[in-house]
Amino acid sequence: MTKHRRRGTTAVLLTALTAATVALAGCGSDSGGGNAASSGPIQIWEGFTGTEAKTFSHLVSEYEAQHPGQKVSSLYVNNDDTLQKVLTAVRGGSPPDIAYLYGSWAPNVAEIPQVVDLTQVVKQPGVDWNDFWTGERAVATVNGKVIGIPALVDNLAVVYNKTLFAKAHLAVPGPNWTWQQFVADAQKLTDPAIKQYGTAYVTPGTEDTVWHWEALLWEAGGQLLSADNKTAAFDSAAGLTSLETLRTMAVTDKSMYLDPTDSAYGNLFNSGKIGMLVTGPWDLSSFPNVHYGVQIMPSYPGSSGGHQTISGPDNWVIFNNGSAHVSAAEQFLLWLTAPAQVKYFSLQTGDLPTRQSVAQQASVSTQMNAALPGVSTFVANLGNVEQARPQIPQYPKISQILGTMIVSVLLGQSQPQAALASAAQQVNQALAG
Amino acid sequence: MRRAVASDHFAGWAFVTPGVVIILLFGAVPIVWSAVMSFQRNNLLSPSTPFVGLANYKQMVHDPIVAQAIQHTLIYTALFVPGTMVVGLFLAVAMNRKIRFISFYRTAAYATMAISTISEAIVFIWLFDPSYGVVNYFFSLVGIPQQQFLNSPSEALYVIVAMTIWGWTGFSVVIYLAALQGIPQTLLEAASIDGAGPWRTFRRITLPLLSPASLFLAVWLTINALQLFDEVYLSTQGGPLNATTVLVYYLYNQAFQQFNFGYASAIAYFLFLVIIVVTVIQFRVGKRFTYYRS
Repeated sequence: MTKHRRRGTTAVLLTALTAATVALAGCGSDSGGGNAASSGPIQIWEGFTGTEAKTFSHLVSEYEAQHPGQKVSSLYVNNDDTLQKVLTAVRGGSPPDIAYLYGSWAPNVAEIPQVVDLTQVVKQPGVDWNDFWTGERAVATVNGKVIGIPALVDNLAVVYNKTLFAKAHLAVPGPNWTWQQFVADAQKLTDPAIKQYGTAYVTPGTEDTVWHWEALLWEAGGQLLSADNKTAAFDSAAGLTSLETLRTMAVTDKSMYLDPTDSAYGNLFNSGKIGMLVTGPWDLSSFPNVHYGVQIMPSYPGSSGGHQTISGPDNWVIFNNGSAHVSAAEQFLLWLTAPAQVKYFSLQTGDLPTRQSVAQQASVSTQMNAALPGVSTFVANLGNVEQARPQIPQYPKISQILGTMIVSVLLGQSQPQAALASAAQQVNQALAG
Repeated sequence: MRRAVASDHFAGWAFVTPGVVIILLFGAVPIVWSAVMSFQRNNLLSPSTPFVGLANYKQMVHDPIVAQAIQHTLIYTALFVPGTMVVGLFLAVAMNRKIRFISFYRTAAYATMAISTISEAIVFIWLFDPSYGVVNYFFSLVGIPQQQFLNSPSEALYVIVAMTIWGWTGFSVVIYLAALQGIPQTLLEAASIDGAGPWRTFRRITLPLLSPASLFLAVWLTINALQLFDEVYLSTQGGPLNATTVLVYYLYNQAFQQFNFGYASAIAYFLFLVIIVVTVIQFRVGKRFTYYRS
């Protein structure tokens, strides 16, 4: 989910060539791993740009300096396209040694036979696997098998416009606030005369629509699926509460700006047209024109859920190109994701620390917040990531059903109860099929 | 003599071979391979790709979103193709005269083709924004109720039609302008000497002589319309509630978001068949109305 804002036009071209891509992928040898090439630099595919790219290449050269004889060659690939390219390369028998892959792809990535099982690797002394956040470890693990090492992490919190709150004579959100307060504030911040909205929601019906709601569902004490991932569990009192919250703002109060394009809301917030935004740390740098504050997500009083949030961690995944390459790749990744490097990367880029021990150093949070105001709340909020989306290959299909459910409620086309029931039935079908 | 012929042949083949190889590799191989995949359950991830016979094609019949996607694709094509041709013809006729700054106007009309789809989509997203867009602002000035546009399942597709007509107008202007300049002045003069007014001349002389260009545009624009993707991907991602999900977008969704490459290949083959059938019909019907000067 991280940084999904970047859309590659290349994806468009690729799609036009669906058949071509697909076919070429197929005509290579299927032998995959165990290629003869056992020496040479390890190949890493990453999608870093700007400061992230600079910081990453600095780390790579530092690694090479510290480890004579080791060479790391990195190739930029737009994050949105990496899986497609990896699939093509796997079929052609020449996957990269390491690729940066979205966490939401993990269950599907786990089906690729060339993906290296890291379960034993992360148990090695010194790795301290439990130092990674719960949400990260959950997304890196599929059916008990570790398929990746956390590369980047984020979460959702509320970014609010302090000026608009002051104008409306509202107290700014405190850490113990509730969804009732959020809804009431949103209503008071709405002024149709000057086209000002209390909040916004992205409604393309994609995973971006869905994960925002999943955080509400968890906070209301609900679950998406049953514990064994066999049936839908969101058609519940918690499901209803969470959808009603959104419906009140979108339909009854009309305090919610609906953004079907997934791109307009940021500019509007930066123009002072939106009071509060549920979003992630990646958006902060695009709000230079407003005086904003950040607060953790509100809670539902009386619910066992408390203050939660959802995280979209991404993974470094290793592909099997022979044992020499695999062990070189493992060595590099363990170094890259060790506390010292995680700290350096976060301080340089403002990306949240992927390790708890780094986030808990007061100096890290303070320094990061000085560079990017508000980011320290997101760092602290990582502790509120208690669960992850179901790690099953059917998730993309489920996400699509949920997207339709949420959008139909937000557009006033269906009532929450009916939408939940119909979506649950479809999800059960998808899980059974 | 024989040797010369043989070496000519050899040279000829040598020249075309690289091209042929590339076309076969990037054209024929994928065509065959996706045909094979359309009979498999294949997610490209797992090495197991069992043959499932016609299951993917059968699934299409029972998939409500395929039915919606076909409907949206047809509505879109039925509006986009004539729309682009009429707007293009109007502008081409308006620009087919000697007035000041004509080359500026012509360049401006073609500029819509030069602008990248992504900028075009962003501009239209803001023009049609329900709260902040210029279109709703003009509507408010003349008392038309405010519209939801891309937020509304019943309106979003028409916004995409407007967006793409704007984008393709430059293309049809250029084709029509070229065709208009190929019409002999003598015919137009003869018509006016015979007493035909401007409308009648246009109707009886200009329009029939433009028919080859019209047929070309109809075929070309239809093929493009049936393959609509970019604008949908950039503005609505098929939403709201699948209202703008057209066949190619659904194919993309199935292949790259749901990892159903087999099913996506079946949809691609279905679309391929539709395009062939439509194009053949267009040529057959078009022949009757097309006038080629010899």
